[in-house]
Order: sequence, then structure tokens, then C-alpha cells
Amino acid sequence: MSDPVVVDRVTKRFAGHTAVDALSLSVPSGQIFGLLGPNGAGKTTTIRMIMDIYEPDEGSVRLFNDVAGGRTHSARIGYLPEERGLYPKMRVLDVLTFLAETKGVARRTGRAKALEWLERLGLGDWRLRKVSDLSKGMQQKVQFISAVLHDPELVVLDEPFSALDPVNRQVLLDTVIDFGRRGKTVLFSTHIMEHAEKLCDRLCIIARGKKLIDGTLADVKRTHGGKHVVIEFDGNQGAARQIFADRRLVARMQDFGQQAELELAEGADTQEILRALVTSGARLSRFELASPSLHKIFVDLVGPDAATAAANPASGRERERAGA
Amino acid sequence: MPVHKVWAVIRREFVERVRTRWFWISAILGPVLFAGIIVFQIAQSVGGAVRNIAVVDSTSSDYGTRVVESLGASRLIRATRVSAGPGVIDSLTRLVEAKQLNGFLIISNQLTETGKAEYRASNLSLQTIEELQRALNRLLLKVRLEERGVNPAVVEYAQSLRVTLDQKKIARGGTRAESAGESFAVAWVMSILLFMAILLYGVNVMSSVLEEKRDRIIEVLVSSLRPFQLMLGKVIGAGAVSFFQFLIWGVSARALISLRVPIARALGADTASVSSMPLPHIPFATLAVFMAFFLGGFLLYSAMFAAVGAMSSNEQEARQAQQPVTYVLMISYLSVIGLTNDPSSTFAKTLSLVPFTSPIATPVRWTAGGMGIGELVLSLAMLAIAIVGVTWVAARIYRVGILMTGKRPSMKELVRWVRTA
Repeated sequence: MSDPVVVDRVTKRFAGHTAVDALSLSVPSGQIFGLLGPNGAGKTTTIRMIMDIYEPDEGSVRLFNDVAGGRTHSARIGYLPEERGLYPKMRVLDVLTFLAETKGVARRTGRAKALEWLERLGLGDWRLRKVSDLSKGMQQKVQFISAVLHDPELVVLDEPFSALDPVNRQVLLDTVIDFGRRGKTVLFSTHIMEHAEKLCDRLCIIARGKKLIDGTLADVKRTHGGKHVVIEFDGNQGAARQIFADRRLVARMQDFGQQAELELAEGADTQEILRALVTSGARLSRFELASPSLHKIFVDLVGPDAATAAANPASGRERERAGA
Repeated sequence: MPVHKVWAVIRREFVERVRTRWFWISAILGPVLFAGIIVFQIAQSVGGAVRNIAVVDSTSSDYGTRVVESLGASRLIRATRVSAGPGVIDSLTRLVEAKQLNGFLIISNQLTETGKAEYRASNLSLQTIEELQRALNRLLLKVRLEERGVNPAVVEYAQSLRVTLDQKKIARGGTRAESAGESFAVAWVMSILLFMAILLYGVNVMSSVLEEKRDRIIEVLVSSLRPFQLMLGKVIGAGAVSFFQFLIWGVSARALISLRVPIARALGADTASVSSMPLPHIPFATLAVFMAFFLGGFLLYSAMFAAVGAMSSNEQEARQAQQPVTYVLMISYLSVIGLTNDPSSTFAKTLSLVPFTSPIATPVRWTAGGMGIGELVLSLAMLAIAIVGVTWVAARIYRVGILMTGKRPSMKELVRWVRTA
């Protein structure tokens, strides 16, 4: 069986700039997949193409091995868009029932499920209130419910945790983790690496519409994190300083006196460093290949891109909207 | 399944709109207004408006007295003779200003020579003027005939008979009693109803589209509904609301009409005159034509209004963008007068065939007479073709437009949306 989401070299251009550039990715069934990138990287545009809201200029999207588009399979897909919105004058329960109906759920079933979810996320008492009476965070939870109410196989969440307080964020995080356990496929986007690190089985980092890396979280950490070594001395440091200064072995280091964190030079072998240190007469109490946080990998990879994009986050989005 | 989804959109549109305060305000306001008109009519027939007028007499004969006499025959006027003299006009003017007198008639010897008289009043109501002219005419005729030696009894006999002209209309193989006024009134009321309903409920579709765009619900909706399904559901939902509104109005108007005799009795009016109050006869065919063209016009215009809503990002922009659509509708509304005067003119024919004006023009022409079945069918067919075409274009604009925010698209961009959507 092929992956539920297969994006094949899609490109989307808006007036004057390329939002997504020949991007390919594939979300395996039953995994939690994180689409990561700085603001304006093209995450939302990619998700909109997956959801068949934008048509790609080039390339194709296959959902459940079908090019027909998200609408055809809307009963199997739940979607939380980045731009949140509900009918402000409708009652919470009515909105949820209606949105479930648009996904093909029978009215009665939709209502029952809505009540169940409202209870689960602590909004039971608000079911008969107007949406506009709810706080932003509560509205976001209602919108989240609307995305998962019909028990879809694939859940697409665009920035699901933004604008939530820590308690509610945890509630949603737990819910998403629970989806993963129940074998659902989850595709979500975020620019907050801490969330991605907690959730992702797989991830894809994009910047300026291009893919920088993708793979399982472990893979990414291995390829990008295996080059870090933490060393602790047991008194005698021997000729360690000379080895650290060797640019063929060590690209950068942070010296903490009895402890040091090395970032290895390209092509350098950790075993060679260990051998050199031991030969130099240094006594080691710790020699550890450390995996840096996803955050560090992200900043390393995206680097100046992130800086430019973040400094001007609005412009990219504005362009997205203005273009046809 | 798709039908189920469209049904959900229709239901939401209908239920949420009927739940609003505005729906019930206008649902109640209609019958209240209608009852007001009936009560006003009854109140008028209850003798009410009797005019107190003075007759300023500067004639050298007994004309003044005779004028007062003949005016006294009218139920509408109570006249008193006042001799002309210095300051009389001024003091009467003050009385009129103080609302103690409705007006005064000034007559002199000129009356019998040139037929000239003068009437001054704070309110020159048509009814009073007509009554005065009629009375003076009769008197003058009598005086002149008597001057030439005609027997006053003969004059009396000659004047005792009045012509009543029964008006009947020949239309579509039948002849029935209907005055020009009635025909015109029905056409006029129809055109107002059509214009208001198409405009109001078309604009409702527009604001509903705009609301979904502004509140950013649209993205979730289009992820599970085809834009066309959404537009269809909206148009039908808003249409159902207007039908419901019409139904409330129709039923309450019918109830008020059948209750007009008890209402009149309660107001102390003459029940016989109220029950004989003329009610225009509306045949079933006319009603059917009205409904068909209301439906067609509504579909045509709400598709356009939906497109306008989709291409705008706020109320202000939408108000501007809707103007061309509203103007077209207004043209057909304003041309109703020309239509009823000459329903067979080329102008009238053109208006009833062009799909953008036919929703109002055709029912009006049909009512006014002078339209054959053939033309009616042609008009309907043209409208149907236009609905399909316009909906197709509007749906494409809608599809692209609903996800756009920012500046309103230019004409060129719109054409591109339609071509590429």
C-alpha cells in the first residue's frame, strides 16, 4: 500500500515569487509527520496544495493513491487550517454539527460526536453558547474538534499549537500523540521545534519553498547530530588543547574547563579523536556522541534563511494572499 | 453524498437567517404596513375629511348664496358665505393659518363672464379641488341656461344623470372587469416586490459569502465542499428564506383582507362600502408567471451577487462592486411605467427578452397585457440560458475569489480567473 500523502515535485508561484519550489515529500501511513520551516517557508502553501485548495503550477499531489484531490476524500481527512475561523454567531454545537455534515457525517452522529469531544476537551458547558462568546484558545479547540470529529484516517494540522496557553497546548499534544498510537496518519506544520521533537516520527524541513532535509527524526539527528562530541576530563588534560586546535578534526568547540563540546570538522572520525586524546595522555571520564536538539539542527540548516524570513514574516504571507 | 452536503449548507443558511432578529422584524413589519393601509382607507371612508371653507362673495347678484347652496350638496364640503370687504381676505388667511378654516373660495362677477374663481387653502387636495370645480361647473351651466330662458326644471332634469363607465380588459382570449388603475396597480406592486426581493435576498447571498470569507471559515468549507456546491447551497438557502418571508406576508395579507369587515365595524365605518372595496383580481397564470420569474431572477442575480461577494474582502468594497449589478436591476424596475403604458412597444419587447431585465419586465408586461405565450416561453428560455451561463462564470469567480484577500481584482484579473479556474 502506498503512502496516504505523496507530494511529487510540486511548484507554486505567486505574483513575483516562488512559494514552493519542486517540493517532494511522502507521509507514511500511521506516522506523525512534521513539516517544519521558518515563517514564509511555504508550509501553508504546501498544505493548501495537499488539501486541494490551491492547484500546484507544476507537479502533483496524491492522497490515498488518488490524484482526485482532498475534497473527494474529505470524509477520510481532517483539516485544521492556519487561518482559523468559525461562524461567530452560531452556537458551538451547531457549528460542529454543520462542519461534520459537510464531511458527510449524518446529522445525528455528528451531534453526538461533537458533544463527546466538547466534554473531552473541557468545553461541555459551552456547547450552547455562541462561538463569539468563546476565548481565542477555546475557539481554537473547537476548530480542532471540527477537524477530528469525523474520525478521519489522515489529519492535517497547520500550526496546531500556536496561540495556545501551555495547559491547552499539552491537551492538544496529548490528543495528537493519541492519534499516532491509534494508527492515524498525522501531518502537521510548525516552526516551533520543541513541539516537533516531542511528536514527530518523521519530519521535513523546508525553507524558501525548498526541502532541506527529510527522514525519520532519528535519521535526521544521526546525519546532522552525530558530529557532536562531549568530553569530560578526569584531572589530567594532556595535550588535548593541541588536538582541539586541529581544524582538520574539530570545526568549533565550546570550552568549559573540565568539559568541552566539540563540533567535528567534515570527514573527521570520532575514533581518531579518541585515539589522539588517549595518546596525548589526557584522562577522560566521558566521551559521548551527543545528538543536538532539533532546534540546533534547524537553526544550523536554515541559518541565514530563517533570519531573513523571520525579519520580514508578513511580506511572504501578504504575497501569498495577493497573488492569484 | 454530495446532495447531503448541499442540503447541510441550505439548512444552515436557512436556519441561521430565520433565527436573526431582522428576519422577524421584516416579517412583522410587512403585515403591519398592510394593516395600516387598510385601516387608513377605512378611516378615510368614515366621512373623515370634511373641508370647512368660506366663500368670499363680491358678486352683485345672488351667486354667492347659490354657490354655497350647491357646495352644500357635497358631503365633502361645508361652505359658509362671507361678504367681501376690506380686510376680509387677511382675516380669513389668518384663520387658515390657525387651522380653523381649511380654505376659502373667492368669487366675483367674473365667474359668470369668464368662468374664473380663486381658491386658497393650506392644503390643495385634489379631491377638494375636483369637488369645487364640479359644483361650480354645474352651477355655471345652470345660470347660463337660465339666462337664455331655459326652464330651471329642464336644467335640473338634464343634470340629474351621470355617466358611469364600466372598464373591462380584453386579455388572452378573455374579457373581465378590471380598470386601467387596477391593472397598473398589480403590475406596479409586482415590480416593487420583484425588485425588492431580488435585491434584498441577492444582497443576502453576497453578505453571506463575504461573512465566510471575512471570518475565514471558507478554507475549511472548501476543503470538504466543492465551491459550486457551496454557492448552490447558499443561493437556495437564501432563496428559501425569501419564499418563507413571502409566505408569511401572503398569508397575513389574505387574513387581513378577509377580516376587513370586522375591522371596519370595530372602527365604526360603513361595512358595506368596505366589503365592496375593489380588490384586484389576480389570475393563477399571472401568479405562476410572477413566481417563475421571481425564481429565475433570484437565481440569476444571486449568482452575480455571490461572485461580487467572493471578489470583495470587506463590506465597503462589496458595496462598490455590487453597483453595476444593482443598476441593471434598477433599469428594469424604473422602466415599468413605460412598459405598462405601451406593453407592445419594441422597448417593452426588448426589456422582456433580455435576461437581465426580463425577471421584472416580463411579469409586468404579462399583467399589463400584450404578451403572447410564444414570447413568454422565449423570455423564459433566454432567462434559463442566462442563468446557466452567468452561474458558470460566477462560480469560477467565486472559486478563485473566496480564498483571496487584499486588493479587489481588476477586470483583467477577473477574466483570467474565469479562464483559469
